[in-house]
Order: sequence, then structure tokens, then C-alpha cells
Amino acid sequence: MNYMPGTASLIEDIDKKHLVLLRDGRTLIGFLRSIDQFANLVLHQTVERIHVGKKYGDIPRGIFVVRGENVVLLGEIDLEKESDTPLQQVSIEEILEEQRVEQQTRLEAEKLKVQALKDRGLSIPRADTLDEY
Amino acid sequence: MEQVHQPARMKHLQGPHLNQCPGKSCDPLALEEELMSASQLEEEEENGEGGEELDPDLAPEVEEEEGGEQEENDLGDPAVLSAVHNTQKGLLGSPGFKAPAVLGMSPASLQFLWQAPDYLAPLPFRPAFPSARSPARHFGPRLPSPDPSLLCSPSTSWPLRLSLPSHLTQLHPQHQRILKQQQQQEQLGRPPSPSATKPWSQQPDPYANLMTRKEKDWVVKVQMVQLQSENPCLDDYYYQEYYQKLEKKQADEEIHGRRNRVESLKLVTPYIQKAEAYESVVRIEGSLGQVAVSTCFSPRRAIDAVPHGTQEQETGAASSQRLQVLDWIEKMFLQLLEIEEGQKDGPLQPCDSEQHSNQVEKLFQALKTHKQNTQEEAADGFLQVLSVRKGKALVARLLPFLPQDQAVSLLLTITHHLPLLVRRDVADQALQMLFKPLGKCISHLTFHELLQGLQGLILLPPGSSERPVTVVLQNQFGISLLYALLSHGEQLISLDSSLEEHNRDRTAWTDMVILTAWEIAQMPTASLAEPLAFPSNLLPLFCHHVDKQLVQQLEARRELALIY
Repeated sequence: MNYMPGTASLIEDIDKKHLVLLRDGRTLIGFLRSIDQFANLVLHQTVERIHVGKKYGDIPRGIFVVRGENVVLLGEIDLEKESDTPLQQVSIEEILEEQRVEQQTRLEAEKLKVQALKDRGLSIPRADTLDEY
Repeated sequence: MEQVHQPARMKHLQGPHLNQCPGKSCDPLALEEELMSASQLEEEEENGEGGEELDPDLAPEVEEEEGGEQEENDLGDPAVLSAVHNTQKGLLGSPGFKAPAVLGMSPASLQFLWQAPDYLAPLPFRPAFPSARSPARHFGPRLPSPDPSLLCSPSTSWPLRLSLPSHLTQLHPQHQRILKQQQQQEQLGRPPSPSATKPWSQQPDPYANLMTRKEKDWVVKVQMVQLQSENPCLDDYYYQEYYQKLEKKQADEEIHGRRNRVESLKLVTPYIQKAEAYESVVRIEGSLGQVAVSTCFSPRRAIDAVPHGTQEQETGAASSQRLQVLDWIEKMFLQLLEIEEGQKDGPLQPCDSEQHSNQVEKLFQALKTHKQNTQEEAADGFLQVLSVRKGKALVARLLPFLPQDQAVSLLLTITHHLPLLVRRDVADQALQMLFKPLGKCISHLTFHELLQGLQGLILLPPGSSERPVTVVLQNQFGISLLYALLSHGEQLISLDSSLEEHNRDRTAWTDMVILTAWEIAQMPTASLAEPLAFPSNLLPLFCHHVDKQLVQQLEARRELALIY
């Protein structure tokens, strides 16, 4: 029912399966059960999906209440097409391991880069020391 | 049946009709029955109408009977479904059926709708919503509904297919294609693509509607309150313009013979009385300091920290003159916008028109005499304004409002300094926008004023051997203006035969014409600019006053110019 023509509203998305991307990089998939005027979300039967390369793993999380300001974007999932994916689902342990490995390689590459810059007398402040905004 | 515009239609869907049936509860089953019975009613009426587009006026009747029907219903699903399905098929055949604007649903999927109680339009927003009915109830019979934005219940857990967003929502073209495709598939009765249908998707979602109707309405209400404004044409300009364009397009479509007019919804925010403006800071006369008054709206506003507008003083040497001119233009533009706004609202009331003319006068004075002392400087300021594209737009838009004498003074200034303006306009090429309003002004000129204008253009200025008209002829705006002046002059003369042949003005006029003709003939054709409008009485004019050879030359020029 189009309550508010000409606007974007989450009312029509309620009780549908959504994929929510958070600001900290997490991907949540769940049924959107409730919203409020700040776009705080209540997700039901939520699963946190971790992607590494072509693999992904789902961690069941239950019910999530997400503060609206932490949502980057969200989109409805087509239940029919959900399984139509070239990605391969793996177990949780495996994906966490993969994630750890990926994180490690990234950190090492970063360290090398910083060292190389330092050798040349340059320095790039690390993202986590910068103010978020 | 006439299509009444959506908002007006809704006026009679008032309070007690909807949702106020006796003994109604939030019980899903009760609602389900209610929906089914109402749907059945509608189907009967539908079929009676012979597949015509459902008139929304039926809606109130349906709703009124809702209360009585509640006890009676004992419809099983299949009966309803088949009835609905038949109606659906019947209506599909009706002319003017527009696929994309409509919901498509297989009969099987209808089942799920009945399960989930839908919420109907909330009471307080009745005026705002065009379809204050359950979408599910109307689902089947309403396929070619005039309301394309009727979505099915948002509270169902059925996938995308059902929830085609309103046509006001922008979808990615690929997305839209996929949705349309699915709809069409379903309309043909085929089940959706046979990927693995998950078992749970066949069953009703037990967790649906955790967020009740009331809660959803509340959220919408809060959002609406945030959107309301006193002046939507200003605050929400783009949406209003878009909506007007949309309506116009639909009206055109309707005129061109499409029977079903798809009415689009407009966002109408509820009018909520604004809280009385309160002074959060109280000043007591004769005391020092302020007493803070706190309310629930602003509990902590302790001091009045609003600057009370003192105009910024221009630091003379620092700001460049160009910036000053630009700033001046901006201020005048604001005044112009107010004038235009006042006029846009309709024909002027007598009380308003005085204020209007005051505003116009003020703006004209601002334009003419901006901190200039002498006449010459005033003209200079005006020319500076005209050298800026926005300044030209300002003058062009102001001219229609000015009384004739003021407009004439502007016109004369322009013609006297036309070569300068032309030269400064090389980058912008924006003088064209002045042509139309000036043209109107020219058509009301007196002969004497006309002569003044022409003389400024044609006579040699002191200390120069080149006539201004040479430069003018090479510029499109210039040549158009010149032609317009000549044409008007010719018209005046031919109309008013009382002007004596040997009148001084008359001789001056003749001289002008001859000089102009000569200049045109002198100019190589390639340099002659193409006028915006070539008045028809020019050639005869030249014929009168110049010899035949010259006329032939002119004609040749004109034709060549026109070919370009």
C-alpha cells in the first residue's frame, strides 16, 4: 500500500527478506520485522554472511536490532533467486579461517607498504587513527 | 463514470466506515473473513458492471456494508479464488488494460493474501490516501484499477512479484524488465520459474505482522509530519513540478483516447497545527539579561543567540567591482522572484496590485540608480548589469512588469549602447533572451521615441568614424532589434497618415531608413547576421525610400541570409 507516494519508505519492506550492509562492513541477512522513523531495524532469523573470495559462510545470529545510523544500504532478497549464485557456501569454521587468512595477508601487505613509504620518508596516517568523519 | 481526482474522492470515506465494524478485533481470521466477504461483494458488482473499470465510488458502498456482512460469511477459499480468478481473466480482456501498471498474481498465491490480515488505511490519513481500502481485498477485481500504485499488502511474506512499487518509484531498467516479465508470466497463468520452491515459502509466515498496523501508521505519521511545509512549491519544488508534469502527461493520454486513466498519487502531508510559536527567551523590560523558558520542544535554549541582521559593510577596496555587480544582481533577483511569485498566484486582487506595483517600482529604481550619482554613471551601472548573463535574464524577466515609460527608458539605453553590449556579449550569446520582451515594448513605442532609438544606433557618435549600426548588423540580436524598430516605424507611418511629409521627424526617419539600407548593402553577406525574426513590411519600406538597384541588392542579401 502506497502510503507515501513519491517518497522512499521502509514500510513496504516489512516481513520481507533483506540483505543489510552495515557501516562496519558486516553483511546481515534477515527478515525485516520492524522499523521506526530513524530506520532502526529489527531483523529476524538473521544470518551474518561472511564473504571471502568465491566462498561464503553463514553464521546464524537470531534477532538483531540495528541502529539506523549504522546501516549503509539494504535491499530485498528475491527468495527464488537466492540460490542462484555462483558463490559456494562453506561451513562456518572454514569461512572464519579463510577470513583470518585474508586479514593476515592484508595486514602484511599493508605493513610492507608502510615500511616502503617510511624508507622513502613518506607517511600515510593509518585509517584507524584518523577521525572517522 | 467520471473519474474524480483522487484526493477529492476520498472525502467521503470518513471515519466510521473503515475498520469500525462491531466486534472487530485484530484477529487475523476475522479480518480474513471480512476481506473475503467484501471481495465477494465487489466481485458481484464488478460482474454486474460487465468488466468495466471499477469505479472507486463503489468503494464506500462496499465498506458500509462491511459491518453487516461480517456475520454472514462462510466462504471457503476455493470459491473465492475461482471467482476472483474469473473476474481477473475477464478484466484482462478489457480495453486499455495496461500491464505494467498492474499487479499480476497467480491464483495460488492469492491464498497467502487471505492469511495475512492487511491493514487498511489509517483513519487520520484518510484524506491523503486515495485507496483507503485493503489492497488485498481489491486485488483480484481491481486488476485494471485506475490506481497503479495499489500495492498488495506489505504484510505478506510473498516475494517480489506482488510488490511492484508505484510507478513513482524509479527502478533500474533491468529490474523493471524482470518484474514485468514475471508479471506477464503469471498473467498467462503459468507458475513462476521452476527453481526449487522452498518448503517454507509455501506456508504462511508465522512471524508476519509483528509490527502492527498501528505501529506502521505511527511511523508514517512521524515521517509525514517531518515532511509538511507551509510552502510546498518552494520547499518541495522538484517533486511538485514532477507531479504536475506527470498529471499533464496523463491528461494528454486521456485526451488521446486511452480509456483507463491511471491516476497517480500525490504525497499530501496531513495538516497538523503547528505548536504556537513561543518565546524561549523572555526579555523583561528594563532588566538586564534574559530569563530562559524551557518547554518540551526546546528544553535547553538558554539564550537568544540569533544575530539580528546588520548588513555586512562592504570593505571598499577589497571586494572587486565585478563581485559587487554580481551581488547587486542577486539582490535584485530576489525581488524579482517575489514579484513573479505574487503574480503567479493568479490575477491580482486590487489590494495586492498596489503592493505589486510598489515592488516593481522599487526594483526598477534599484536597477537604474544603484549608488550612482550622475546620469552617466547610472547608465553605466545598468550596462554592467547587462554584461552579466544573469543580469540580462533579470532585465528580460522584469520588462513585462514595467510600465511603458520605464520600459522605454530601458530600451533606449540598450539601443544607445548596443555596440558595447554586443561586444560584451560575445562570450555568453545571451542577448537573445531580451528580444522578446523588448519586441513587445517596441510595438508600443511612439514615433518620437522610436526615432530616438534609431538615431542612437545609426548616427555617428562623436569621435568615431564608424557607425554603430555596422557592429549591430553583424550580431543576431542587434539586427533583429534593428529590423523590429524599422518595422514598427513603418507600421506607425502607414497607420497614421496625419504625419506630414515635411515633418522634421519624418525626414529624420527617411534618412534613417536610407542610411540603414545603405549600410546593409555595404556589408558583405557573410557578415550579416541572421535575424531572429524578419518582419514582412521591411522590404516594402525599403522600396519606398531607396532606389531600385539598392532594393534588389537588399533582396538578394536577405534571401541569402535566410538560406543560411
